Amino acid sequence: MRELTYIQAIREAIQLEMRTDDKVFMVGQDIRGGVYPHTKGLIDEFGPDRIVDTPIAETGMFGTAFGAALEGYRPIVDYMFGSCAFVNFNESSVMTGQQYFMHGAKSSLPMVMTCAVGLGKRIGNDHAMFIHSTFCRQPGIKVAMASTPYDAKGMFASAIRDNNPVMIPWHTGVMQKRGHVPEEQYYIPLGVADVKREGTDVTVLANSEQLYNVLDLAEELAKEGINIEVIDPRSFVPFDLDTVLKSIEKTNRLIIVDEDWESCGMASTISARVVEHGFDFLDAPIRRICLPNIPIPGGYMEDYTRPTKERIEATIREILQ
Amino acid sequence: MSLTTEQMTTLFTNLVRADHWGKTMYRRMMQGKLIGFYHPADGAIAPGVAAGTFLNQDDPMWPHHRGHGITHMLSKGIDIKYYLAEHTGKGTGCCGGNSGWHFSFPEDHVHLQTGFIGANFMACTGYAWAAKQNGRGQVVMNCSGDGSYGEGRSHEGMLMASIWKLPQIFMCENNGYSIFSPIEEMHPTEDIATVAQGLDIPAVVVDGQDVFAVAEVVLAAIDRARNGKGPSFIEAKCLRFKEHDIGNRDLRGWEPRQQEEYDEMYKRDPLVLATERVLNDGVLTQPEIDAIHVVAAQEVEDAEKFADDSPVARPSIEEMEAMVFAP
Repeated sequence: MRELTYIQAIREAIQLEMRTDDKVFMVGQDIRGGVYPHTKGLIDEFGPDRIVDTPIAETGMFGTAFGAALEGYRPIVDYMFGSCAFVNFNESSVMTGQQYFMHGAKSSLPMVMTCAVGLGKRIGNDHAMFIHSTFCRQPGIKVAMASTPYDAKGMFASAIRDNNPVMIPWHTGVMQKRGHVPEEQYYIPLGVADVKREGTDVTVLANSEQLYNVLDLAEELAKEGINIEVIDPRSFVPFDLDTVLKSIEKTNRLIIVDEDWESCGMASTISARVVEHGFDFLDAPIRRICLPNIPIPGGYMEDYTRPTKERIEATIREILQ
Repeated sequence: MSLTTEQMTTLFTNLVRADHWGKTMYRRMMQGKLIGFYHPADGAIAPGVAAGTFLNQDDPMWPHHRGHGITHMLSKGIDIKYYLAEHTGKGTGCCGGNSGWHFSFPEDHVHLQTGFIGANFMACTGYAWAAKQNGRGQVVMNCSGDGSYGEGRSHEGMLMASIWKLPQIFMCENNGYSIFSPIEEMHPTEDIATVAQGLDIPAVVVDGQDVFAVAEVVLAAIDRARNGKGPSFIEAKCLRFKEHDIGNRDLRGWEPRQQEEYDEMYKRDPLVLATERVLNDGVLTQPEIDAIHVVAAQEVEDAEKFADDSPVARPSIEEMEAMVFAP
């Protein structure tokens, strides 16, 4: 079976969609040269009219995509780092999310926003911060994050084909993960979670690099007879609550690992929805393992803040007591 | 570029219509027949008429928020009754009643309204990028006030229009005020046009009270853009007869504007000036002008009836949720 890295899988999704539909183009800063390798070499196939570099001007860069989308194109806007989407937060979230509804639900805004996020590189708050929870609060934007190379290709392809704005960041901690990726085009629908490992004792929700931590732990703890069900939500908006409820009906326990901040984060929303719709399934309080509400430190201090395998393992043992 | 009799007649007709619409909107706001707020364009309707009148249906336009784009849109050929219905809160409105004051006429390439000053530079960059890629000679008309040029977004929009030679016209409707603040305090040079010149965009300053003068420079800019020669900047110096938004105080800084300022302004009412011009040039006779007013009054009256007779939209929460995402 052919293997690709996660970042190569994103590149292939973009490449195939651009071959399929000449209305698809990409706009960003130094994507021609490929600051990150998901755009590397695309310039050779598609040229500067479809792999578009802008000045370092996030609002104008985003505007190229936003306006072109309303004029019938299907742009992908690349923010390099997730926090750069906050430079023009008004446009990237407020105006983008409200565009369809506020204008009578008649003309769609098909555009993809992508960017790198993630702890682990000790590069500090500005470059590492997660943005999915913030974008989840803006009605009208779909938000998703793939964890595996296979999911990355299928979900990016679906995002590009979607008739709505989709924010689909990727985690620097998984960009070099390798895995099976079919050569042909395929689509993983947004809004469908994936049970990455079946288990009976506790359900753990995790995404991106934390998914790998949890899968490692599940392997280790299985030797002790602890069977963990691991779910990757994959999409945050729309969120697949049914898969989570079905799982806790069996395990009766839920832990949510989310590297975004604890306060008003996606883990809080999922937790609240589970309590509202699945309280009777639960035998123990839901536990959340999130980033503490402090700016992500740079340097070695970053290591002390993020959810670790040790923290997750301790929480699993506590919830099973 | 001198105007033909036919062009002058069209411009004059649109100016009359804009004047009737503006006065109607003011009256309806005071009568409580409009939802939310209204930012009157009284005194400054000439630039919008000149900007919209000579555009094709597939030329994207961002209308100035002042006058809620009515002047610009009616000149482009859009039926304003659907905007009035929206601003009256009705389900027949151009946004189905979802917004109250946004407009959306995608078939006419007028896509949106927003409460954020300067967003025009963002969206128009994309419209103009698309127009250039399409290669059909489309032109993007980007209209906004002097206040919007305080936004950093204006720099980004002009920068990218200039480096990419985009077919975009920046129509700066400089009425001298951003809400209360006089332009002299908020901009360092007499003309905002100097900013465009600094980015290598050809810029002209024109009397924004004279619809025909603005139209002449607009036609030249349209011609330039359609022929792939890139962006242009037009600064139309105009006047604001009324307060920033109806019900607000009309201040200069923090003091009321002086009566002498109003008296001087009213002498330069764009419709008065245009009427004198068409009569003096023999473009129209007084009976013809009167007939144009009658038709304009009827247009507005019919639109008011349509808006007032339309039902208020009453969707359920579930129906509204179904409108958040496109299928």
